[in-house]
Amino acid sequence: MELMVNGEKVTLEGGANLSALLAQQKVENPAMVSVQINGEFVEKEQYESSPLAEGDEVDFLYFMGGGY
Amino acid sequence: MKGFSTKAIHGVRFKPDAHGSLRMPIYDTVSFEHESAKAIELAFGGKRPAHAYTRISNPTIEDFEQKMRLLSGGMAVLALSSGMAAISNLVMTLCEAGTNLVTSRHLFGNTVSLFEHSLKPWGLEVRYADMTNPAEVASLIDENTRLVFLEIITNPQMEVADIKALSAITHQKGVPLILDGTVTTPVLFRSKDFGVDVEILSSTKYISGGATSVGGVIIDNGNFDWKQAPRLAEKAKRIGPMAMIATLRMEVYRNLGACLAPHNAYLQSLGLETLGLRIERSCDNALALAQFLESAPKVKKVNYPGLATSPFNALAQSQFGGYGGGIVSFEMESREAAFRIIDGVGLIKRATNVNDNKSMIIHPASTIFCEYSPEEKLEMQVPEELIRLSVGIEDLEDLIDDLTQALETV
Repeated sequence: MELMVNGEKVTLEGGANLSALLAQQKVENPAMVSVQINGEFVEKEQYESSPLAEGDEVDFLYFMGGGY
Repeated sequence: MKGFSTKAIHGVRFKPDAHGSLRMPIYDTVSFEHESAKAIELAFGGKRPAHAYTRISNPTIEDFEQKMRLLSGGMAVLALSSGMAAISNLVMTLCEAGTNLVTSRHLFGNTVSLFEHSLKPWGLEVRYADMTNPAEVASLIDENTRLVFLEIITNPQMEVADIKALSAITHQKGVPLILDGTVTTPVLFRSKDFGVDVEILSSTKYISGGATSVGGVIIDNGNFDWKQAPRLAEKAKRIGPMAMIATLRMEVYRNLGACLAPHNAYLQSLGLETLGLRIERSCDNALALAQFLESAPKVKKVNYPGLATSPFNALAQSQFGGYGGGIVSFEMESREAAFRIIDGVGLIKRATNVNDNKSMIIHPASTIFCEYSPEEKLEMQVPEELIRLSVGIEDLEDLIDDLTQALETV
């Protein structure tokens, strides 16, 4: 499936969840990132149980410095 | 890694250095290059982990912030140019005109001045409570209260509040508890474990390693749901627990410009490595000097929470792992006698600062609190007879010799 991640097209296996996307995108220190799917904030505890669908817009937000 | 000093020395490096330097280098630069227009756009939008401008973030400062995060157990840390910058930035992030904060009359003189003289004209109401009386604190909190603020050991009164009791009240009322933990640091007091929501530190003091540099820190312990804070509620719904630090970094701190210098961040990271050793020595010296002063006939009263005779001893024991901090205050019979002691010391420095490696002595009423009326000073419990002694890490015998000869001049 195709997603928009931080404004860029990304291809990911169908049925993958948010944790898989974080791993695929090699997000440094995922604990320090706030994640939104289609503008909605996702709690860290819900990464595994957050499925992704074709066309979803995912944003990883960094607050540079001593976050998380 | 379990121990504080081990973590401070070997704590996980956030990012490896390009040359394997064992210390994070000082990135004394303002700006950082990006490989494309898109890359800099993403960096500005917070969608790419990259530094852009040192007023907002910098690798050396980030390294210090990460060390503080590891050592405090907090969720997120922001380093600033001073402790006062930390307090003012935080209050401006949580409060607005028409709201109030609840605090104590027993505060650092400049903090009182910030609230009373700098922020009141912008419409902030300041309510004063006895922090050792949680019921009184509870009675002052209403729907417009945005935070409760106190110091861990008040200076120079040396008062200690029951932090868990205050936390229970503020959380029940949905208001964050903000603590200035400068004089304890996470070595003596892990504020997160006592229910403190945000800890502020003047890293100028113990952390800087001997008054090497001015700095401040805001630690979000991750205890508070920022959806309950009216100014942050919308942001908290969109970005979660990072709402407060993100608002600081991307708005208040960025706009006010109170950034820490990279060189100071380096010095303060270095100071963290010996923090545990220095605090232990300073506290041991302070207890011994407090006991010495208590036994001196010319001294009217000694305030030190580590003394068995202090009304705050039990709380100090339970909250600070058996230590009482590195500051002692004591009263002489008169202002003149207090001045004689201050003039009589030789080794101990007549200077204003606390938690330096050097011991320092000062007359608070005529210096730190000089802008307040005699009535206000009495209300703040800063009498003319009071002396503040910040105890360093010198050899105890030399400090006792110095105070002995100063007492002989009275």
